[in-house]
Amino acid sequence: MGKMRKRDRLEVIYDFLKIIRESNNSIKPTPLLRKSNLSSQSFAEYFKEMLSKELIKEAQDKKRRKYITLTDKGFKYLEKYKYILGFIGEFEL
Amino acid sequence: MLVINMPSYEMFAVELIYTLVVVFLCFVVYYKTKGIYDLTKYKGIGYFRNAFLFFGLAYASRFILHLVQLTTFTFDFIIPKRMVFPLFMIPTGYFSTMAIFYLAYSIIWKKIKYEHFLTFGNTIAVILSAVAFISRSHILLSILQLLLLIFSIVLIIIKHKKPRKKLHTKALYILISIFWLINLFLLGPRRLLSFGIKFLFQLISIIVFIIIYYKVKKWVK
Repeated sequence: MGKMRKRDRLEVIYDFLKIIRESNNSIKPTPLLRKSNLSSQSFAEYFKEMLSKELIKEAQDKKRRKYITLTDKGFKYLEKYKYILGFIGEFEL
Repeated sequence: MLVINMPSYEMFAVELIYTLVVVFLCFVVYYKTKGIYDLTKYKGIGYFRNAFLFFGLAYASRFILHLVQLTTFTFDFIIPKRMVFPLFMIPTGYFSTMAIFYLAYSIIWKKIKYEHFLTFGNTIAVILSAVAFISRSHILLSILQLLLLIFSIVLIIIKHKKPRKKLHTKALYILISIFWLINLFLLGPRRLLSFGIKFLFQLISIIVFIIIYYKVKKWVK
Protein backbone atom coordinates (compact mmCIF):
# COMPACT_ATOMS: atom_id res chain seq x y z
CA MET A 1 0.00 0.00 0.00
CA GLY A 2 1.32 3.43 -0.88
CA LYS A 3 2.36 5.83 1.83
CA MET A 4 -0.35 8.39 2.58
CA ARG A 5 0.57 11.96 1.71
CA LYS A 6 0.82 14.28 4.67
CA ARG A 7 -1.67 17.14 4.32
CA ASP A 8 -0.22 20.58 4.73
CA ARG A 9 -1.68 23.19 7.07
CA LEU A 10 -3.71 25.03 4.45
CA GLU A 11 -5.19 21.79 3.18
CA VAL A 12 -6.17 20.64 6.67
CA ILE A 13 -7.92 23.96 7.28
CA TYR A 14 -9.68 23.67 3.92
CA ASP A 15 -10.88 20.12 4.69
CA PHE A 16 -12.00 21.22 8.13
CA LEU A 17 -14.03 24.14 6.80
CA LYS A 18 -15.45 22.03 3.98
CA ILE A 19 -16.78 19.46 6.45
CA ILE A 20 -18.62 22.23 8.32
CA ARG A 21 -20.05 23.70 5.12
CA GLU A 22 -21.20 20.30 3.91
CA SER A 23 -22.97 19.74 7.23
CA ASN A 24 -25.32 22.62 6.52
CA ASN A 25 -22.91 24.95 8.29
CA SER A 26 -23.65 23.42 11.65
CA ILE A 27 -21.80 20.51 13.21
CA LYS A 28 -21.04 19.33 16.73
CA PRO A 29 -17.38 18.99 17.80
CA THR A 30 -17.37 15.17 18.08
CA PRO A 31 -18.52 14.37 14.51
CA LEU A 32 -16.21 17.12 13.26
CA LEU A 33 -13.26 15.45 14.99
CA ARG A 34 -14.22 12.09 13.49
CA LYS A 35 -14.63 13.40 9.97
CA SER A 36 -11.47 15.53 10.04
CA ASN A 37 -9.12 12.52 10.29
CA LEU A 38 -6.98 14.29 12.84
CA SER A 39 -5.69 13.17 16.20
CA SER A 40 -7.40 14.72 19.22
CA GLN A 41 -4.34 16.87 19.89
CA SER A 42 -4.04 18.13 16.29
CA PHE A 43 -7.77 18.71 16.16
CA ALA A 44 -7.61 20.84 19.32
CA GLU A 45 -4.71 22.87 17.90
CA TYR A 46 -6.39 23.50 14.54
CA PHE A 47 -9.69 24.23 16.20
CA LYS A 48 -8.09 26.85 18.44
CA GLU A 49 -6.22 28.34 15.50
CA MET A 50 -9.34 28.62 13.35
CA LEU A 51 -11.29 30.20 16.18
CA SER A 52 -8.54 32.76 16.75
CA LYS A 53 -8.39 33.51 13.02
CA GLU A 54 -12.17 33.90 13.02
CA LEU A 55 -12.68 31.28 10.31
CA ILE A 56 -15.17 29.43 12.51
CA LYS A 57 -17.25 30.27 15.53
CA GLU A 58 -18.88 28.34 18.31
CA ALA A 59 -22.56 28.68 19.05
CA GLN A 60 -25.19 27.03 21.21
CA ASP A 61 -28.64 25.84 20.25
CA LYS A 62 -31.80 26.14 22.38
CA LYS A 63 -30.85 22.99 24.28
CA ARG A 64 -27.49 24.58 25.07
CA ARG A 65 -25.68 22.09 22.84
CA LYS A 66 -22.49 23.38 21.36
CA TYR A 67 -22.07 23.46 17.58
CA ILE A 68 -19.64 24.96 15.13
CA THR A 69 -20.37 27.18 12.14
CA LEU A 70 -18.36 29.02 9.52
CA THR A 71 -17.87 32.77 9.66
CA ASP A 72 -17.91 34.95 6.53
CA LYS A 73 -14.13 34.70 6.57
CA GLY A 74 -14.43 30.91 6.65
CA PHE A 75 -16.69 30.93 3.57
CA LYS A 76 -14.27 33.29 1.87
CA TYR A 77 -11.37 30.92 2.61
CA LEU A 78 -13.23 28.06 0.93
CA GLU A 79 -14.09 30.24 -2.03
CA LYS A 80 -10.51 31.50 -2.47
CA TYR A 81 -8.68 28.27 -1.67
CA LYS A 82 -7.93 27.43 -5.31
CA TYR A 83 -6.45 30.88 -5.84
CA ILE A 84 -4.46 30.74 -2.60
CA LEU A 85 -2.86 27.47 -3.75
CA GLY A 86 -2.30 28.92 -7.21
CA PHE A 87 -0.56 31.95 -5.77
CA ILE A 88 1.66 29.87 -3.48
CA GLY A 89 2.54 27.57 -6.37
CA GLU A 90 3.21 30.46 -8.76
CA PHE A 91 5.73 32.08 -6.42
CA GLU A 92 7.01 28.85 -4.83
CA LEU A 93 6.21 30.12 -1.34
CA MET B 1 18.02 76.82 -3.47
CA LEU B 2 17.98 73.66 -5.51
CA VAL B 3 20.76 73.41 -8.05
CA ILE B 4 20.97 70.24 -10.05
CA ASN B 5 24.53 69.42 -11.05
CA MET B 6 24.11 66.88 -13.75
CA PRO B 7 24.48 66.55 -17.43
CA SER B 8 20.79 67.03 -18.08
CA TYR B 9 17.42 67.38 -16.48
CA GLU B 10 16.27 64.40 -18.56
CA MET B 11 18.42 62.13 -16.42
CA PHE B 12 16.77 63.47 -13.30
CA ALA B 13 13.30 63.09 -14.81
CA VAL B 14 14.04 59.51 -15.87
CA GLU B 15 15.28 58.65 -12.37
CA LEU B 16 12.20 60.19 -10.79
CA ILE B 17 9.76 58.40 -13.09
CA TYR B 18 11.65 55.13 -12.76
CA THR B 19 11.57 55.35 -8.96
CA LEU B 20 7.88 56.27 -8.89
CA VAL B 21 6.93 53.36 -11.16
CA VAL B 22 8.99 50.78 -9.25
CA VAL B 23 7.85 52.01 -5.82
CA PHE B 24 4.24 52.03 -7.04
CA LEU B 25 4.48 48.46 -8.38
CA CYS B 26 6.13 47.20 -5.17
CA PHE B 27 3.48 48.77 -2.97
CA VAL B 28 0.66 47.51 -5.21
CA VAL B 29 2.04 43.95 -4.90
CA TYR B 30 2.18 44.44 -1.12
CA TYR B 31 -1.35 45.84 -0.95
CA LYS B 32 -2.91 43.32 -3.36
CA THR B 33 -1.65 40.38 -1.33
CA LYS B 34 -3.00 41.73 1.98
CA GLY B 35 -6.36 39.95 1.64
CA ILE B 36 -4.87 36.55 0.87
CA TYR B 37 -2.41 36.93 3.76
CA ASP B 38 -5.05 38.05 6.26
CA LEU B 39 -7.14 35.05 5.30
CA THR B 40 -4.41 32.44 5.67
CA LYS B 41 -1.60 34.01 7.76
CA TYR B 42 0.62 31.82 5.61
CA LYS B 43 4.25 32.61 6.43
CA GLY B 44 5.52 32.33 2.85
CA ILE B 45 3.01 34.93 1.66
CA GLY B 46 4.03 37.18 4.56
CA TYR B 47 7.72 36.98 3.60
CA PHE B 48 6.88 37.58 -0.06
CA ARG B 49 4.88 40.71 0.85
CA ASN B 50 7.65 41.97 3.11
CA ALA B 51 10.18 41.59 0.30
CA PHE B 52 8.17 43.94 -1.91
CA LEU B 53 7.46 46.38 0.90
CA PHE B 54 11.20 46.60 1.61
CA PHE B 55 12.07 46.87 -2.09
CA GLY B 56 9.65 49.80 -2.38
CA LEU B 57 11.16 51.52 0.64
CA ALA B 58 14.69 50.81 -0.61
CA TYR B 59 13.99 52.36 -4.02
CA ALA B 60 12.41 55.41 -2.35
CA SER B 61 15.38 55.99 -0.06
CA ARG B 62 17.78 55.31 -2.93
CA PHE B 63 16.12 58.14 -4.83
CA ILE B 64 16.80 60.52 -1.94
CA LEU B 65 20.46 59.42 -1.97
CA HIS B 66 20.53 60.01 -5.69
CA LEU B 67 19.03 63.44 -5.25
CA VAL B 68 21.57 64.36 -2.59
CA GLN B 69 24.40 63.28 -4.86
CA LEU B 70 23.08 64.98 -7.95
CA THR B 71 22.26 68.31 -6.43
CA THR B 72 23.85 71.00 -4.38
CA PHE B 73 20.65 71.17 -2.41
CA THR B 74 21.91 70.94 1.14
CA PHE B 75 20.70 71.41 4.65
CA ASP B 76 24.00 72.98 5.58
CA PHE B 77 22.33 75.18 8.10
CA ILE B 78 20.87 72.11 9.81
CA ILE B 79 22.83 69.07 8.69
CA PRO B 80 25.91 69.31 6.46
CA LYS B 81 25.53 67.60 3.10
CA ARG B 82 28.41 65.32 4.00
CA MET B 83 26.21 64.01 6.79
CA VAL B 84 22.99 63.71 4.77
CA PHE B 85 24.41 61.15 2.33
CA PRO B 86 25.70 58.65 4.91
CA LEU B 87 22.53 59.16 6.97
CA PHE B 88 20.37 58.04 4.06
CA MET B 89 22.73 55.13 3.44
CA ILE B 90 21.33 53.59 6.63
CA PRO B 91 17.69 53.08 5.47
CA THR B 92 18.83 52.27 1.94
CA GLY B 93 21.19 49.58 3.20
CA TYR B 94 18.73 48.18 5.71
CA PHE B 95 15.62 48.08 3.50
CA SER B 96 17.39 46.60 0.50
CA THR B 97 19.23 43.92 2.50
CA MET B 98 15.95 42.93 4.14
CA ALA B 99 14.23 42.85 0.74
CA ILE B 100 16.82 40.43 -0.71
CA PHE B 101 16.71 38.38 2.47
CA TYR B 102 12.90 38.13 2.56
CA LEU B 103 12.70 37.25 -1.13
CA ALA B 104 15.10 34.33 -0.66
CA TYR B 105 13.48 33.33 2.62
CA SER B 106 10.00 33.24 1.08
CA ILE B 107 11.18 30.30 -1.06
CA ILE B 108 13.23 28.34 1.49
CA TRP B 109 11.52 29.07 4.82
CA LYS B 110 9.96 25.60 4.98
CA LYS B 111 13.35 23.95 4.59
CA ILE B 112 15.15 26.01 7.20
CA LYS B 113 14.57 24.75 10.68
CA TYR B 114 16.38 27.61 12.36
CA GLU B 115 13.85 29.63 14.34
CA HIS B 116 16.10 32.68 14.68
CA PHE B 117 16.67 33.01 10.94
CA LEU B 118 14.69 36.28 10.83
CA THR B 119 16.81 37.69 13.64
CA PHE B 120 19.87 36.60 11.70
CA GLY B 121 18.59 38.44 8.61
CA ASN B 122 17.88 41.58 10.62
CA THR B 123 21.36 41.45 12.16
CA ILE B 124 22.98 41.17 8.72
CA ALA B 125 20.86 44.12 7.50
CA VAL B 126 21.86 46.27 10.49
CA ILE B 127 25.55 45.38 10.01
CA LEU B 128 25.46 46.18 6.28
CA SER B 129 23.72 49.52 6.86
CA ALA B 130 26.26 50.38 9.57
CA VAL B 131 29.10 49.53 7.17
CA ALA B 132 27.44 51.69 4.51
CA PHE B 133 27.09 54.56 6.98
CA ILE B 134 30.70 54.38 8.17
CA SER B 135 32.27 53.82 4.74
CA ARG B 136 29.89 56.27 2.97
CA SER B 137 30.23 53.97 -0.01
CA HIS B 138 27.26 52.70 -1.98
CA ILE B 139 29.70 50.67 -4.06
CA LEU B 140 30.90 48.76 -1.00
CA LEU B 141 27.27 48.22 0.03
CA SER B 142 26.38 46.85 -3.41
CA ILE B 143 29.39 44.48 -3.31
CA LEU B 144 28.39 43.20 0.13
CA GLN B 145 24.80 42.73 -1.03
CA LEU B 146 26.08 40.88 -4.09
CA LEU B 147 27.81 38.44 -1.73
CA LEU B 148 24.53 38.10 0.21
CA LEU B 149 22.68 37.42 -3.04
CA ILE B 150 25.22 34.77 -4.09
CA PHE B 151 24.88 33.17 -0.65
CA SER B 152 21.06 33.22 -1.01
CA ILE B 153 21.18 31.67 -4.49
CA VAL B 154 23.46 28.87 -3.25
CA LEU B 155 21.13 28.29 -0.29
CA ILE B 156 18.10 28.15 -2.61
CA ILE B 157 19.83 25.68 -4.95
CA ILE B 158 20.80 23.43 -2.02
CA LYS B 159 17.54 23.65 -0.07
CA HIS B 160 14.91 24.06 -2.74
CA LYS B 161 14.99 21.39 -5.39
CA LYS B 162 11.86 21.79 -7.48
CA PRO B 163 11.02 20.81 -11.06
CA ARG B 164 12.52 23.01 -13.76
CA LYS B 165 9.15 24.34 -14.85
CA LYS B 166 9.30 26.90 -12.03
CA LEU B 167 12.75 28.13 -12.96
CA HIS B 168 11.33 31.35 -14.42
CA THR B 169 10.00 32.50 -11.02
CA LYS B 170 13.41 32.13 -9.43
CA ALA B 171 14.93 33.88 -12.46
CA LEU B 172 12.57 36.83 -11.89
CA TYR B 173 13.58 36.97 -8.23
CA ILE B 174 17.26 36.92 -9.12
CA LEU B 175 16.70 39.58 -11.78
CA ILE B 176 14.99 42.05 -9.45
CA SER B 177 17.79 41.57 -6.92
CA ILE B 178 20.46 42.08 -9.58
CA PHE B 179 18.64 45.17 -10.92
CA TRP B 180 18.65 46.59 -7.42
CA LEU B 181 22.41 45.98 -7.09
CA ILE B 182 23.12 47.63 -10.43
CA ASN B 183 20.92 50.59 -9.47
CA LEU B 184 22.79 50.97 -6.21
CA PHE B 185 26.16 50.62 -7.92
CA LEU B 186 25.27 53.27 -10.51
CA LEU B 187 24.09 55.78 -7.92
CA GLY B 188 25.31 59.31 -8.42
CA PRO B 189 26.26 61.67 -11.19
CA ARG B 190 29.21 59.73 -12.59
CA ARG B 191 28.46 58.10 -15.87
CA LEU B 192 29.53 54.50 -15.56
CA LEU B 193 26.99 53.61 -18.21
CA SER B 194 25.78 55.76 -21.06
CA PHE B 195 22.37 57.37 -20.60
CA GLY B 196 20.85 55.16 -23.30
CA ILE B 197 22.11 51.91 -21.82
CA LYS B 198 21.02 52.91 -18.32
CA PHE B 199 17.58 53.85 -19.66
CA LEU B 200 17.27 50.50 -21.43
CA PHE B 201 18.31 48.66 -18.32
CA GLN B 202 15.75 50.56 -16.21
CA LEU B 203 13.08 49.79 -18.78
CA ILE B 204 13.85 46.06 -18.57
CA SER B 205 13.78 46.31 -14.80
CA ILE B 206 10.30 47.86 -14.91
CA ILE B 207 9.13 45.09 -17.27
CA VAL B 208 10.27 42.48 -14.74
CA PHE B 209 8.32 44.23 -11.97
CA ILE B 210 5.27 44.41 -14.25
CA ILE B 211 5.52 40.65 -14.98
CA ILE B 212 5.55 39.98 -11.22
CA TYR B 213 2.58 42.31 -10.76
CA TYR B 214 0.58 40.44 -13.43
CA LYS B 215 1.49 37.10 -11.89
CA VAL B 216 0.13 38.38 -8.58
CA LYS B 217 -2.98 39.82 -10.22
CA LYS B 218 -3.72 36.48 -11.88
CA TRP B 219 -4.33 34.83 -8.50
CA VAL B 220 -5.42 37.70 -6.32
CA LYS B 221 -8.74 39.00 -7.51
